[in-house]
Amino acid sequence: MGIKGLTKLLADNAPTSMKENKFETYFGRKIAVDASMSIYQFLIVVGRSGAEMLTNEAGEVTSHLQGMFSRTIRLLEAGMKPVYVFDGKPPDMKNQELKKRLSRRAEAEEGLSVAIEADNKEDIEKFSKRTVKVTKQHNEDCKKLLRLMGVPVVEAPSEAEAQCAALCKAGKVYAVASEDMDSLTFGAPKFLRHLMDPSSKKVPVMEFDIAKILAELDLTMDQFIDLCILSGCDYCDNIRGIGGLTALKLIRQHGSIENILENLNKDRYQIADDWPYQEARRLFKEPLVSTDDEELNLKWSPPDEEGLITFLVNENGFSSDRVTRAIEKIKAAKNKSSQGRLESFFKPTANPSVPIKRKESKCMLRSFKPAIDHKMSSLQISNSSRSMIFGKLRMPIYNVGSELSVPLSRGVCFGA
Amino acid sequence: MLELRLVQGSLLKKVLESIKELVNDANFDCSSTGFSLQAMDSSHVALVALLLRSEGFEHYRCDRNLSMGMNLNNMAKMLKCAGNDDIITIKADDGSDTVTFMFESPTQDKISDFEMKLMDIDSEHLGIPEAEYHAIVRMPSAEFARICKDLSSIGDTVVIAVSKEGVKFSTKGDIGSANIVCRQNTTVDKPEEATVIEMNEPVALQFALRYMNSFTKATPLSSSVTISLSNELPVVVEYKIAEMGYVRFYLAPKIEEDEEETKPQV
Repeated sequence: MGIKGLTKLLADNAPTSMKENKFETYFGRKIAVDASMSIYQFLIVVGRSGAEMLTNEAGEVTSHLQGMFSRTIRLLEAGMKPVYVFDGKPPDMKNQELKKRLSRRAEAEEGLSVAIEADNKEDIEKFSKRTVKVTKQHNEDCKKLLRLMGVPVVEAPSEAEAQCAALCKAGKVYAVASEDMDSLTFGAPKFLRHLMDPSSKKVPVMEFDIAKILAELDLTMDQFIDLCILSGCDYCDNIRGIGGLTALKLIRQHGSIENILENLNKDRYQIADDWPYQEARRLFKEPLVSTDDEELNLKWSPPDEEGLITFLVNENGFSSDRVTRAIEKIKAAKNKSSQGRLESFFKPTANPSVPIKRKESKCMLRSFKPAIDHKMSSLQISNSSRSMIFGKLRMPIYNVGSELSVPLSRGVCFGA
Repeated sequence: MLELRLVQGSLLKKVLESIKELVNDANFDCSSTGFSLQAMDSSHVALVALLLRSEGFEHYRCDRNLSMGMNLNNMAKMLKCAGNDDIITIKADDGSDTVTFMFESPTQDKISDFEMKLMDIDSEHLGIPEAEYHAIVRMPSAEFARICKDLSSIGDTVVIAVSKEGVKFSTKGDIGSANIVCRQNTTVDKPEEATVIEMNEPVALQFALRYMNSFTKATPLSSSVTISLSNELPVVVEYKIAEMGYVRFYLAPKIEEDEEETKPQV
């Protein structure tokens, strides 16, 4: 799933591009959530004991509904505005990867039946988790639930991560939440991990900023995509013997996969003649996404109380008390999301002071041009809504020092 | 090299008490013009801007622009150890990772040094544009604190509306509602007891009382408070620090849902 070893590569080579934030700091933000990934997680963990899962009276699994319901309420209560993006038809290029997953699942199923025979509890749990599959029905259930909750749902024509990234690029959401590092390759300006983790785990949200990644790795977006393809993505195999670190070195040295292929020692590295890296690159750069404004007009509305009770209590055996209480929470959360954020009014500037305590981190000055470009573009987006106000104001932004060093690299993105 | 000597040490104590609830960690910026701080609360709804001008210090030396990251709770702990009449001196050396607070008793018979570790704080600095406000209200700070406290026992949001009638603070909650109107009043014995309302345009804005209450922790700094309001801008609640500067709190307003619909989705 995703890009092999990218998290570690970034942690080692672009540490300032990732930042841990408290869950609560995202209040008021619109966030695109990769629904399929979340549903998959819910099916694995929510209400599971061994191979047993939460079910309704008819014996159908309801873990995904339980998970989706409670985690979405958690987001709403924190004042966030989630929009869930569902996968459409996977691109043909992914078939190979999907086949691999299928065969892994088949293996797991075999393992599971052996474990059940041997009554090995640990193995039963392990293998049954691996046999989890998100079906069409699960997706439909969740869409229905979300619509009843008044949370917008977007059906991607193809990959959900690509659609999420497109929403974020268009400034319709602040960030993309997924566990799949692909989102960065698709160019999501801001990408969050662990947002959908259960609160009991107490993991802080990890925020990645693509502009800072590019600045710190000293790569262009195209080169970053090439780096991801070389590291290993869902669409094609990577070159045997080349991992993330080597890939980064090669990209820095040669600039593109084409140049790398020309210069690579063919005896040492086996490269298939028909290595479809160009096709993979195209899928990352121009993925099939919907840009229809009508469909992407995201609206958060009040919950359909009766609908929720019918669906959850009557059809899926949820406790009526809990659902009623949860609906109250959704309604109360509406109030919270109206709080404005300061960034919508004031724009970040660089602080001219130099920390008295010398920082250990080194040479961040190196080529932060892309970061600034990015800042400008997002400025335009956000300004369009406020230009009216700023028109009235003189706007002398103080603290525009001339020889700034470190703090400039902290210029933040404040799009959504 | 940095050395700032403040004769009225209690001022710094009060400043810390007024902001430490809102902000945990912050960078203090030191330049030749003064000692300042700008920091947002963790949810980026409120911002505090502090300025203590260099003229207000008895001795002020700052060779180059520096910032010092401090944990405000720890700093407050140390400043609590200073007596109310003590002279406080802030000292730091270049490249050092500590700051020293020196407290001298007025009779010079006791001198204490407290050294605190500095921290690396990744803070975002916001450019705050100079704005013309639609309405500016100056009123006794204790009165404002009382209003915020009273209203927060009824509801969690306050509507501050300025009109020809005066300034109205109102809230609604489960148990009922409350309205408090303050009228212009300049016929008072002491100028700081006056309520002065300047209005170019009527304004009505909604704010979370939780933050307002936190701002009123600065009440001991000044006997009057200035509240500047403009539609669609954060409110500014300013406490002047005599002859030295100010503590200003900015708070983003609450935005009505249906109003938001008409704006482009950002």
